[in-house]
Amino acid sequence: MSLTLLLVEDDARIRRSLALALGDEGYTIVEAPTGEEALRYLATPAVTVDLVLLDLMLPGVDGLQVCRQIRERGELPIIMVTARTDTADVIAGLEAGADDYVTKPLVASELAARIRALMRRAGDHGGGAAFTVGDLRVDPAQGRAVRGAQDVHLTKTELRLLCELAAAEQRVVSREQLLERVWDYDYFGDTRLLDVHIRRLRRKVEPDPGQPRHILTARGQGYRLVL
Amino acid sequence: MRWTRPWGQLRLPLRARVMLAFGLVSVLVTGLIAILTWNLSSSYMLSQRQDSAVRQAVVNARLVQEALRRDSHDLSELLTGLGSQVESAVLLVDHGQWISSGNLLDPRQLPHALLDLVGQGVAARQRLVLSEVPVLAVGLPLPAASATYVEVFPLRDLDRTFHFLSWMLAAGVVVSGFAGALLGRWAAARALRPLTTLTAAAASAAAGDLTIRLPDTRDPDLAPLTTAFNNTTERLQRRVIRDARFAGDVSHEVRSPLTTMLNAMAVLQRRRTELSANGQQALDLLATELRRFQRLVDDLLEISLATEDRADLPLEPVDLVELVAHAARDRVGGEPPVVDAADPHPRVLADRRRLERAVTNLLSNADQHGRGLVRVGLLRHNGQARIEVDDAGPGVPVADRELIFERFARGSPAFRDPSDTGAGLGLALVAQHVHGHAGRTWVEDRPGGGARFVIEIPEAGQ
Repeated sequence: MSLTLLLVEDDARIRRSLALALGDEGYTIVEAPTGEEALRYLATPAVTVDLVLLDLMLPGVDGLQVCRQIRERGELPIIMVTARTDTADVIAGLEAGADDYVTKPLVASELAARIRALMRRAGDHGGGAAFTVGDLRVDPAQGRAVRGAQDVHLTKTELRLLCELAAAEQRVVSREQLLERVWDYDYFGDTRLLDVHIRRLRRKVEPDPGQPRHILTARGQGYRLVL
Repeated sequence: MRWTRPWGQLRLPLRARVMLAFGLVSVLVTGLIAILTWNLSSSYMLSQRQDSAVRQAVVNARLVQEALRRDSHDLSELLTGLGSQVESAVLLVDHGQWISSGNLLDPRQLPHALLDLVGQGVAARQRLVLSEVPVLAVGLPLPAASATYVEVFPLRDLDRTFHFLSWMLAAGVVVSGFAGALLGRWAAARALRPLTTLTAAAASAAAGDLTIRLPDTRDPDLAPLTTAFNNTTERLQRRVIRDARFAGDVSHEVRSPLTTMLNAMAVLQRRRTELSANGQQALDLLATELRRFQRLVDDLLEISLATEDRADLPLEPVDLVELVAHAARDRVGGEPPVVDAADPHPRVLADRRRLERAVTNLLSNADQHGRGLVRVGLLRHNGQARIEVDDAGPGVPVADRELIFERFARGSPAFRDPSDTGAGLGLALVAQHVHGHAGRTWVEDRPGGGARFVIEIPEAGQ
């Protein structure tokens, strides 16, 4: 079954060439030239989109807004495309809810590798037993997290990150290990990716994200989960 | 501005010249004062001594005249008494008859000119040296007895005093000359202190630190210099940032068409077999050049982030052996490098990605320009971790050793690999990344031929 990608890119030539090359990689591509059109398409009943490839620099509704609106509706995986590697841009995108990012010039084959890694964590929740962090009940098998009677929405990446931390049974997991296990980055991934996701996770897991009691930073080493 | 002087080559350094000038001036002034002092005090003392001698001679002459008139035989006794003082003497010429008395001196050696003058009835005095003793001779005519009286007074004490005074004054002049020179040295050092600061600041600016500024000063002599220097570095810094930003902007602008081209190329390459032989060749050429273009754009962006501080780099502990092993994995072809590593492995605090990029660039430089990588050394040296990349090439001529770390400076055409695809930014990136880690990079001769590129960055504390 081929995956359907929603490609949001305002440059027609880039969009066409990426659509062609990603088509060769075996994906079904839906093209959207603007953020409005992308959101409209996603709101249409009975369409399936497995992943959004989102350029941050869009005319009209910009990429960050699109990203936030998609996040509000659910956990649809998002890879954002940035032209600049400037810290602010990447971090803003990740804070807005993107799962991963690539920089231009992006090549279909490399993009396919990132998509595979992301879809793997979307499909596989670690398969481990359910566990409780503070007052949050996490069930990896079902991909759900519940606080009391309330569902807490974790993206697939956040859930996978939480499961990896939990699997270490309170031991420190290094940044490199987390980047490799969650994002498939070997040796060096962008640690900002990890740091922003930890921040996002703390907002959902910790009673007071400013004073984390469960997801602890081991300075210079990595992170540690205390149940 | 440059002006020549007749003694061009012999020009002393500024400090020495100021010292010399101060010394000369103080010697001149104190010398003048010394000469004046000498003249005034010596003539005063001499006239005092002469006056008292004359007074005493007049009294003595009167006694002698009395004795002559009485014609008593007291005269010889009196004369003996008068001449008995050490180094003094009296001489009485009475009707051509010389009667003298003297202790250690023979008054008969007195110059005739003096005796003749006194003989003619004129009182006279003369300073002279008698039997190697400086003396004052006072001659008085004794008209009542128609005789001549001459008394000789020793001046040895006065002479000693003069001697002492002259030595003191000369020594004073010499000492003041030295003191003047020292003062000159101090003044020069003090006046040159802002210049020393400026030199240090200019040196760090030349070494690439364009954030350096001279402290503000209210000294009207220094303010223009300070302002000019600060403005210059400010403008230079702005220009460097603007250049870097421009390179970054160009790189970003080029990224969009590059994305289209790369993906279109990927589509074409997938259908390579559908093309004729010529079409395939053309496609391969295009693909190769496109990849080279992509590398150039990447390097350009990377180098445009030049102005980053070390504080902004995500530093983490890095084992250099691991880093080099990882960098070598990306090498296109070639055997795995011979790694010569210190034990325990050198470790540094580094931005892993940037440092690996620097190492990768050195490895590919050895492959592309140095006829192959020979050895990678990972050593520790005086608190520095050192990466040595040795190649089998002809080495780098001394004149080019700084130049090759400049942007777009490639090896000289004589030993460039014809299949070279280097973009000319590789070594500049190495220099930049190493600089960002507070390190140094340079090239030297490898013992046994070839070039050795060295990266040195501070070792991480244990």
